[in-house]
Amino acid sequence: MGSLLRVDMACLTVKKEPVPAGWAKYAGRALTDAIIFAEVPPKADPLGPANKLVLAPGLFGGTPAPNGGRLSIGAKSPLTGGIKESNVGGQFAHSAAKAGLAAIIIEGRPADPKALYALDIDAQGNGMLNRVDDLAGLGNYETAEKLHAMKGDDKLVTVTNGPAGEMLMKAAGIAVSDPHGYPNRFAGRGGLGAVMGSKGLKAITIPLGIESLPHADKEAFTAAVRKFANALKEHPVSGQGLPTYGTNVLANIINEAGGYPTRNFSEGRFEGVEKISGETMREITLERGGNVKHGCHTGCVIQCSRYYVHPDGSYWTKGSEYESVWALGADCGIDDMDGIAELDRKCGDLGLDTIEMGNVIAVYMESGKAEFGDVQGALAALEECAKGTETGRILGDGAEATGMAFGVERIPVVKHQAMPAYDPRPIQGIGVTYATSTQGADHTAGYSITANVLGVGGTVDPLKPLGQAELSKNLQIATAMLDSFGLCIFVAFPVLDIPAAFEAIYEMATAHTGDPWDADALMKLGRETIAFERLFNESAGFTAADDRLPAWMLTEKLPPHNSVFTVTDAELDSVHDFVAETAAEMGISKP
Amino acid sequence: MRIELALFASLEPYLPEGESASGRRTRMIDLPGGITVGEVVARLGLPDQPRVCFIDGRGVREDAVLTDGVRLAIFPPVAGG
Repeated sequence: MGSLLRVDMACLTVKKEPVPAGWAKYAGRALTDAIIFAEVPPKADPLGPANKLVLAPGLFGGTPAPNGGRLSIGAKSPLTGGIKESNVGGQFAHSAAKAGLAAIIIEGRPADPKALYALDIDAQGNGMLNRVDDLAGLGNYETAEKLHAMKGDDKLVTVTNGPAGEMLMKAAGIAVSDPHGYPNRFAGRGGLGAVMGSKGLKAITIPLGIESLPHADKEAFTAAVRKFANALKEHPVSGQGLPTYGTNVLANIINEAGGYPTRNFSEGRFEGVEKISGETMREITLERGGNVKHGCHTGCVIQCSRYYVHPDGSYWTKGSEYESVWALGADCGIDDMDGIAELDRKCGDLGLDTIEMGNVIAVYMESGKAEFGDVQGALAALEECAKGTETGRILGDGAEATGMAFGVERIPVVKHQAMPAYDPRPIQGIGVTYATSTQGADHTAGYSITANVLGVGGTVDPLKPLGQAELSKNLQIATAMLDSFGLCIFVAFPVLDIPAAFEAIYEMATAHTGDPWDADALMKLGRETIAFERLFNESAGFTAADDRLPAWMLTEKLPPHNSVFTVTDAELDSVHDFVAETAAEMGISKP
Repeated sequence: MRIELALFASLEPYLPEGESASGRRTRMIDLPGGITVGEVVARLGLPDQPRVCFIDGRGVREDAVLTDGVRLAIFPPVAGG
């Protein structure tokens, strides 16, 4: 088990300490939750000194477990006001784990509010804070370039905060560098960039690291890795669809199902979808000589990442993900792939969450401040954020702040966080997840699109309420488990369909740690993770009334199916019926 | 009867010759009345692997019967998010 690296931004000290007894099975999301539950007062000001920013690799961090290099970043969210775990790829998780770190805890606040620091971690996991005031206001790309130059290390792994985070905008995310050093993987959701900014922290650096961590039983670990990798390659989604077309392969199918939110959730189909679909994006990228298949972190066997390039073939932005293309495209009525790429690049450089900002721009357009479909209008809105104008600060605080300031009634948020790329009226299972997730409207928290639309893990009619609460509940528990192992959520597709894939997870865990893991232990970990989060949120002031979709989604019919959300309040309230019993077993009641 | 057929992602090469309907990946095709989705799949020679099929935006099984004027969309297994 690795160490905790505690970074006190008030005293400017960095020290290592052991992980407390009782947390041995916690890593990734479970560990960020446990630390926030134990150390952050639920009523704390998210941008004040009592909040903490926690970065934790999953249990498989630093190992060759396929797709096991995801990083959890947690804090109390300035956007939702509840606990937040934002999950990100990139190289940091493996490097931190190889340096012997189970988690990094950033706490306190510098006495000098203008001081800006980088936390430089060495290969042994020792950290040092260095002043980097000259990086103030720089975008993520330039910041990463300067850090590489300062350290003289081409393979340096960076975690950076853009200007939006420095300005404490609630839509600000944190960038992690990918295998080629681009700062293009994002812990986007929930305003964690603002928390990083409030700590005066501009960046974290760490050497890539080479040596994988030792395993309790190397032979058994290797066998389980092979079993898991075979399942990922065998399943048509993770073995063919995702590597060929990337995540944006979803655009056409969600549009076909009538759940592709268009022009601020006013329609469920976008007439311009063909121009921004994954199939078209692949054709454009290939024509220009761009990269259409790589992993966001070492050890990924799915390879759904890609680079979108300028017409001359030079790097523009990461091959925009499905969520980003939808948010900055269909939701804003924009069908121009290059325009979307520029919006994506700008969000990435400023350090703004593309899901939140697509919603922001759509709401802003609905207010009449810009026209739906107008790329230049959307870019101008982002420029307001870049300049930190009064308007820009409102926009940078998210869709709800924007809607309230500019008089828009249709604001698609839950727990103050904007909805991702699936309308919950014709896809009701995802509505249950949006409503009840501890994270606010978050598709990844319980990806009910699987059985609702994609025919993965069974079939549940997306237009009816029957079975949606149970589906979402089971997926939320399973996802919390995957996030704690540092596994990419996309392994869920084979795990849901191929029993050997699920078995391989606990076989890898047992062989790596020497502790006994089995199917029950995996799901127990998922339940415990959510118990931490629900209890924290309750103490922060959340009630059942917060586990609801916006009221207009219960009455405003969405074409083409003219559907409204019909899952009952009682069904929504049943999703977390396991929490009290789980908390009692854990011996916890409130933070 | 005449329906609109849409094939996406890796199934696009199986689109028959004919008039495009509402996009590049669609065709208007003529079929005998009472034909099922599965029978259309067989006629097109789609690969023997799982599929996701929609008639007018509603997910359907392959025994669903097509009627005049509908849109049939077929996807290979895809996901993302």
